Amino acid sequence: MPILAMDTATMVSGVAVADNKKLLAEIIVENKLTHSETLLPNVEKVMAMAGVTRGDLEAVAVSIGPGSFTGLRIGLAAAKAIAYGLNIPLVGIPTMEGMAWHYPMPGITVAGFVDAQKGNVYTAHYKWNGIAFDETRKIEVVSLEQAINLCGEINTPVVAVGDMAEKKLTKMDDLPDNLIIPPQHMLMPRAANIAMAGLKKLADGVKESVMDMEPIYIRKSEAEVLWEKRHNKPEQVENK
Amino acid sequence: MDKVNRDKDNIITLAIESSCDETSAAVLRGGRKILSNIIATQIPVHRKFGGVVPEIASRKHIINIMPVIDEALSQGEVELKDIDQVAVTYGPGLVGALLVGVSAAKSLAFTLDVPLIGVNHLEGHIFANFLSWPELKPPFVALVVSGGHTSLVHVKDYNSFRLMGQTRDDAAGEAFDKVARVMGLPYPGGPQIDKLAQAGNPMAIDFPRALQEKGNYEFSFSGLKSAVLNYLNSMKLKGIEINKADVAASFQNAVIEVLLAKALDAVRETGCDTLVLAGGVAANSSLERRLREITEKNNIKFYFPDKILCTDNAAMIGCRGYYQSLAGGYSDLYLNAVPGLALTDL
Repeated sequence: MPILAMDTATMVSGVAVADNKKLLAEIIVENKLTHSETLLPNVEKVMAMAGVTRGDLEAVAVSIGPGSFTGLRIGLAAAKAIAYGLNIPLVGIPTMEGMAWHYPMPGITVAGFVDAQKGNVYTAHYKWNGIAFDETRKIEVVSLEQAINLCGEINTPVVAVGDMAEKKLTKMDDLPDNLIIPPQHMLMPRAANIAMAGLKKLADGVKESVMDMEPIYIRKSEAEVLWEKRHNKPEQVENK
Repeated sequence: MDKVNRDKDNIITLAIESSCDETSAAVLRGGRKILSNIIATQIPVHRKFGGVVPEIASRKHIINIMPVIDEALSQGEVELKDIDQVAVTYGPGLVGALLVGVSAAKSLAFTLDVPLIGVNHLEGHIFANFLSWPELKPPFVALVVSGGHTSLVHVKDYNSFRLMGQTRDDAAGEAFDKVARVMGLPYPGGPQIDKLAQAGNPMAIDFPRALQEKGNYEFSFSGLKSAVLNYLNSMKLKGIEINKADVAASFQNAVIEVLLAKALDAVRETGCDTLVLAGGVAANSSLERRLREITEKNNIKFYFPDKILCTDNAAMIGCRGYYQSLAGGYSDLYLNAVPGLALTDL
C-alpha cells in the first residue's frame, strides 16, 4: 500500500513514500527555500526515486500541527488536493506524535518542544505501546519553563523533540535529570515517521475528510485574542 | 478525443483564486465560457474586525478550498479527468491566503498531470470583461480599481500590456474603506459610501484632487483620504454635526473625477476607441454611471464586467490563464505566491 507522506510544520521540509511499512524513499531538507517552492518538486522527485507513479498511490499522510501556521496550510492544501485528485484516503498525524516515532521503545516518554512564539512552546507527551504511540499528555501551549517542569514530574526518562529542544534546551544547565536531548537530526520532523504513523492509522480504520480537515493550530489568531480582550471575553485556548 | 488534439476552444480550465477574503474555483470551456464559478465569501467573518484579518482569511481558505473546487466541478458537470489545465492566482494578495490556493493548484496539476498556469490577479480583473462581453477584443485601455490597486493599463493584445500608471500610495478602494471606517460605516466600506452618496451633494465639500497634470497617469489618494479625515475631525472638535451623505458624495466625487480625467486622457493618448473598467470598485454604481456618460459623450466604447465578476472570483483567473496558455505562459511546480506582484509591461 504505497503512501505519500509530507511534513511542512517546521523549517524542515520532508516528503516520503513508504509501502507495507518499508520506507521506499525520503527527502529531508532544511535550507532557506520556502515550503511553498520546494514541496511539490520534492514530491515529484521522491516518487520518481521510489519508483511509484501517481496511480500507484493509495493514501496520503500529512503532519497537521501544531507548528508554523503557513507551513501547515501549505502541506495540508497539497495533501488534500492530491488525495482528492487521486480519490484516495487522507490521514493527519499530529506533528509532535510524528517526531515521537524517532523513539518507538518502551519505558520512556517523548516530550514535544515546538516553537509557539513569545517564549512559549507547544508541548505534548507520548509513550510507545508496542505498536503505536499513546498521547499521555494532550497538546497545549505552555511557557518553556512549564514544559520543562512537566518533564521533571515524570518518573521515566524523557526524550525531548522539536525545534526548541535544540534551540533552547541545549543552552540550559539546570534541566531535570531525566530529560534527554538527542542530536539535532533526531529531534526534528521526518516524513518517514509521518508515513509509518499514517499506515498505522489507516490500518486502524482512521480516515479524515478531505473536504473540511483543518490543521491543529491550538493558538487563535492575534486578531481574535485582541478582539476578545477588548470585548471582555475570557481568553480560551482552542483545542482544535 | 485525445487531449492534445482537442480544439483550443474546448480546453477545460480549472481556476482557483484565494488572494484575499474569497475562496473561489471555476471551470471554463475555452477562454470565455463559464461552466461554473463558485465563490465562498468571508466578508461576514471579517466584519467584526473592521477589515480582512490575514490569519483568519488563511484559516477559512484551508477549510473552503476543497468544497469550492468540488462544487465547481460538479456544477460545471466535468470530472477530474476532463481538466486540461489548472490556473491559479499567485499574486498580488495576502501571502498566507495565496499559498493555500497555490499549493492546492500545484498539487492538482501534478496529480492530474496537466499544465499549471500562475495568474496575476490584476490581469484577471481586466480579463473579467472578456467573460461579460463576447465581442470585446484588444486593443483597449483598462482602468483597474480595486481595494489594493488603481492602475491604467494599455492592453495592446491578449498577451501584450503596457502599464501607463498606477497609484503612488493608497489605492482608491483603500481610501473608500478607510473613510467609511472613520465614518462608522460597516465593512466593507466601499458599497456603503456609494449608497450613502446617492443622497448627498457631491459639490458640498471641496476635497483635493492630486496629480492633475495632463499625461500623468499616476494616482495618489492618500492626500484626499487625509483631507476627509481632517474634515471629519475638525467638525467633531467644533461640535458641528456633519451631513454624512454630503461627505460621502463629495469624497466619492473627488475620487471619480480623478479616475475619469485620467482614463479619458489615456484613451486619447493610445488612440484606442475602447475603455474597460475592472476590479472590485468597478461595482461602484456612480463610477460606472459617470464613466458611461463621459465615454458616450466622447464616442468611446465602454465596458465593465457583470457585478459578480467584479468581485474576486476564479472565472476571471481562468479566462486570463486560458489566454496566457495560448502564448505558452505556463508555470512549473516551483511556483510561489508573490504578495506584492505588480502589473508590468508584457
